[in-house]
Amino acid sequence: MNGALALIKALEAVGCETVFGIPGGAILPAYDPLFDSAKIRHVLTRHEQGAGHAASGYAQATGRVGVCMATSGPGATNLVTPLADAYLDSVPVVAITGQVARPVIGTDAFQEADIRSITLPITKHSYQVTDPDDIPRVIAEAFALAASGRPGPVLVDLPKDVLAAPAGWTEPEPPVVVRPRLDPAQVRQAADLLARAERPVFYVGGGVVRAGAADLLRELAERTGVPVVTTLMARGAFPDSHPQHLGMPGMHGTVAAVAAMQKSDLLIALGARFDDRVTGSLARFAPEALVVHADIDPAEISKNRRADVPLIGDCRDVLRALKASVTTGGDLDPWWKYLDGLRTTFPLGYDWPEDGSLAPQYVISRIGELVGPEAIYTSGVGQHQMWAAQFVRYERPGSFINSGGLGTMGFAVPAAMGAVCGAPDRQVWAIDGDGCFQMTNQELATCALEGLPIKVAVINNGNLGMVRQWQNLFYGSRYSHTSLGSTPDFALLAEAMGCVGLRCSSRAGVDDVVREAMAVRDRPVVIDFVVGADAQVWPMVAAGTGNDEIMTARGLRPLCDSDTGEDL
Amino acid sequence: MHRLSVLLRNKPGALARVVVLFSTRDVAVESLSLSPAGADGLSRLDVQVRLREGRSVDQLVHQLRRVVDLCEVSAA
Ligand SMILES: Cc1ncc(C[n+]2csc(CCOP(=O)(O)OP(=O)(O)O)c2C)c(N)n1
Ligand SMILES: [Mg+2]
Repeated sequence: MNGALALIKALEAVGCETVFGIPGGAILPAYDPLFDSAKIRHVLTRHEQGAGHAASGYAQATGRVGVCMATSGPGATNLVTPLADAYLDSVPVVAITGQVARPVIGTDAFQEADIRSITLPITKHSYQVTDPDDIPRVIAEAFALAASGRPGPVLVDLPKDVLAAPAGWTEPEPPVVVRPRLDPAQVRQAADLLARAERPVFYVGGGVVRAGAADLLRELAERTGVPVVTTLMARGAFPDSHPQHLGMPGMHGTVAAVAAMQKSDLLIALGARFDDRVTGSLARFAPEALVVHADIDPAEISKNRRADVPLIGDCRDVLRALKASVTTGGDLDPWWKYLDGLRTTFPLGYDWPEDGSLAPQYVISRIGELVGPEAIYTSGVGQHQMWAAQFVRYERPGSFINSGGLGTMGFAVPAAMGAVCGAPDRQVWAIDGDGCFQMTNQELATCALEGLPIKVAVINNGNLGMVRQWQNLFYGSRYSHTSLGSTPDFALLAEAMGCVGLRCSSRAGVDDVVREAMAVRDRPVVIDFVVGADAQVWPMVAAGTGNDEIMTARGLRPLCDSDTGEDL
Repeated sequence: MHRLSVLLRNKPGALARVVVLFSTRDVAVESLSLSPAGADGLSRLDVQVRLREGRSVDQLVHQLRRVVDLCEVSAA
């Protein structure tokens, strides 16, 4: 046995079934035994970035570790963006990279890049294996590290001569993982605060999804009657159809969700990290709220907003403990009356473009309705992402996979590819922007060849729409370099890659084209939705302003202008 | 100014990870010294750091504890 075979056997031993990657000089030894593996499916992507995001999509669709593989140098550096992405969104990913042979490390050898150093700030941990006998142990540790505690990416760098050298095989022991134990006194304190609060809110983040705690969240929410908001990373962690759900908070959140946090007297943050896109100006954020902050990562507690009661633990443990400790809460009727008023007065909505063009929000809501909540949706970054968060109704945790923390354009297509590999029985729809699509659409060739029938809805507004929106609002409508023009023809491009290419530019055609796409099972489908360029994402809290200044349209600030909240 | 006393495993990249963490989190390093600590492949790192206004040393300590090859850290 050599190091390469030990690697493949170790991957099989930890239950790895799918690897996304591209071979090259330094990783070549590993690809030889991979060729023979009956347990591991290798998906040959067209770019390593695609492999990395696919691993993330796979991980988020399955709850298991996603794996990507690349050669040294440029192969490895192409993984930098997906690793940073997985780091900020706490996704369990293991990246395996080839490295130049040990004797030439540090000599600027051909395709040498110090990928460990490059990725230090964007990986949870990394290894460079120097002894082939260590490979099984390192792989087992890497998988355990990626998945345990706060999940994240782990890099394993393997010099070529280590892969080629004779290796011993010792069955890797699954490393012991310690799960933090909740402090019962803090749980009691949190439960007491909850019982006394008049304006409590469950502020639900991606940690609830990662912990698989959505069922417990629902039980606790229903037991207490507390309003729930779900962040971009947590869409689906609480059903959108649930009457206690106020929607998404933050920069493009609903008025009710933003106001609930802003006027709250008790925020119970569950696996959320008080990101600036949620809090707006921190100094003005939720001025009257006490904070219970539950997170598995102690370093998140009081990072941005001081926690009055920290709960360090896995969200499942936290929710179970809270459920066991809460008695009935206080009278929430006045609170609900206020929030219901906001919901009714300021529902999510949109106007049809005056020039008769298609409203992108309409396209996305119809996709959501026709395709339904059992599907998995991914998105790129930009306006279409926010509309996908707002206008698709999510009912299942993990059914919206997007790039929240890093905001990586080009995430949608490869993430959808990874998701469908992990969940072949579910429909997977990528809601993408025309800008994002042009960054990673080559993975459609991979999907066509591998029989991965993803659907891609390109929301084609001819622009880097989100940037254009900021230029419209904050740069006097000077549209500096945000027009993408009208090429390429996305439907033809799709056909060229072995997919079905469709186009729709009228309201009347939307349902038919979505149904047509749904009927295709053997190939990927791309629908080019030609939409108006001027649609904007509302509501909006402009960067750096307080959440009180949320605008439902340009210049309309319901929480400042009206006195709805005064009597609370 | 804060004094941090860190016990690290002598694994490749362990020191780099700590130093990069300082840089990532905008922590200014005033002095740094590394020396062997006992026989068990451990090193003692003594660092004096200056934090950005409003940032707490406790938070830095928690961030350091995320470093897999770090055994102990205390702040004074
Ligand atoms: C890799 C990368 N480059 C640049 C940006 C900055 N950016 C954010 S949204 C956006 C526009 C995206 O355009 P498109 O995909 O067409 O989406 P739209 O906003 O039009 O829906 C840009 C350029 C980014 N987030 N990621
Ligand atoms: Mg666009």
